[in-house]
Amino acid sequence: MPGSRDMREIVRLLCLLCVMLFAPLAWAAEGGGAKEQALRQQTQPLNNAPVWRDVRGGENPYQTTQVRGIETSVLVQTEGEIWRQIRNGPVTIYGGLFLVAIMAVIGLFHWLHGPIKLHGKPTGRKIARFTDWERLVHWATAISFVILAISGVVILFGKYILLPMFGYTLFSWLAILSKNLHNFVGPLFIFCAIVMFVAYVKDNLWQSYDFKWFKNAGGMLGGEHLPSGKFNAGEKVWFWIGLLLLSVAVGVTGLVLDFPNFAQGRGTMQLMTVIHAAAAVIYIGIALGHIYMGSIGVEGAYDSMRIRGGEGKVDETWAREHHERWYNEVASGGRAAGGGVPSAAKASTIKEGWKL
Amino acid sequence: MARMKFLADAERCIECNGCVTACKQEHEIPWGVNRRRVVTLNDGVPGEKSISVACMHCSDAPCMAVCPVDCFYKTTEGVVLHDKDICIGCGYCFYACPFGAPQFPQDGAFGLRGKMDKCTFCAGGPEADHSAAEFKKYGRNRLAEGKLPACAEMCATKALLGGDADVIANIYRDRVLKRGKGSEIWGWGTAYGKPDKPAAQPGAKS
Repeated sequence: MPGSRDMREIVRLLCLLCVMLFAPLAWAAEGGGAKEQALRQQTQPLNNAPVWRDVRGGENPYQTTQVRGIETSVLVQTEGEIWRQIRNGPVTIYGGLFLVAIMAVIGLFHWLHGPIKLHGKPTGRKIARFTDWERLVHWATAISFVILAISGVVILFGKYILLPMFGYTLFSWLAILSKNLHNFVGPLFIFCAIVMFVAYVKDNLWQSYDFKWFKNAGGMLGGEHLPSGKFNAGEKVWFWIGLLLLSVAVGVTGLVLDFPNFAQGRGTMQLMTVIHAAAAVIYIGIALGHIYMGSIGVEGAYDSMRIRGGEGKVDETWAREHHERWYNEVASGGRAAGGGVPSAAKASTIKEGWKL
Repeated sequence: MARMKFLADAERCIECNGCVTACKQEHEIPWGVNRRRVVTLNDGVPGEKSISVACMHCSDAPCMAVCPVDCFYKTTEGVVLHDKDICIGCGYCFYACPFGAPQFPQDGAFGLRGKMDKCTFCAGGPEADHSAAEFKKYGRNRLAEGKLPACAEMCATKALLGGDADVIANIYRDRVLKRGKGSEIWGWGTAYGKPDKPAAQPGAKS
């Protein structure tokens, strides 16, 4: 079974990581490979296994070379083959299948269910949802994310899909463009994500009513749509898991990979690429859902993020149907439309007002 | 067709770095790039051994497998070569290679490494044999001249052998027979048990 084989590979990598972490300690405790080798020669003459184990470990301080560079005194590193098995195996295969599955689910939802339409009639009265600054930050983050996602997909999957179509020369040109875009836009994305976190965090704090939302995924799984704040619980998951957790995962690993001038070892790079690719594939998967919901998936949602035209405004009906608590807050004057957060004292009065 | 391989005999290597110099000289390799290096084990302690290492031209090469643009190819003689026009300089071959063979002329910020360079078994690249473009990118194509790799040819003690696998394996087998100890290839002792009369090993009894 290929699945269990891949699992064994992952277990092997984990074991190897443990060995890499603790081998120097064991080596020091045993007085080095030379001592072990001497002992082995008494019990099993001509058996040089301890010497070679020592060589593979690469921890022996008496292992030297005249050539300067990263890990040049390491004669052989076996981790590279394990990295290859994981990268070309589970990361590429399951990562690719995951993205295809997400796209299939979205396509199927759109085909069977169709976009989520407004139930009531638009009133024509517009409520400001996002300020100019909020929309600017969103699109700066979004555009840099899409560039990174596409270029990353080209580097990980392009060999299997685009290379047979384009041929070596054209695909190489595309891959060089992708690599450089990825490496230069990456740090920009990290900056944008940090600004976006600051700009959006106040409306994404968890409220008690958010947890009820998950029961029927905000009405998508049938039943009634529970009222939510400016952001519903699904959007908050995207904020905390996506924008925060996954950005940190791809951002930290990405910076390590992007700056090889600090002479990181191969083991570090191997681990970083695996975490980076796995986190990025999950990130892209969730982003596909977000892009669908924000564009054609939910009628009227895109107006709130429009750079021009709608100017970040949504119809009153849309606000009431999708974000009832936020609508009531705005309608009762509890908070300025578009931004700002009501004080705790005001919030309680708004809550009472909403019930009436 | 012959299968080309390298064989490093640790019993003979004297760490003169002649192979490294021969390689640099033959291919006019820039500073900082070392297609071949000599690693010394237990340097300065009893049992010191040196091994010359470069691209070993693996049968199932990890570099070929992880390359995102598939720039590697294998000649009919089993030599692993790559196309620098296709290479994007991502460094993945360096992460995957067991021997640290792939070299990059730069290690700049934002992953700017330049095109990968490595041992070609003195077999050049995809350009026409002996062309100026081939020499500039990959160095001399000695195999096309009917010669073996410069490093192995230059080796004073013939510790480094490069050539047809069958031929160099026979040479090594003869050496092992003459030495009277056959366990210098890793794992033999464990596989075949200990002999009745332990061979004299300097430094083993202490």
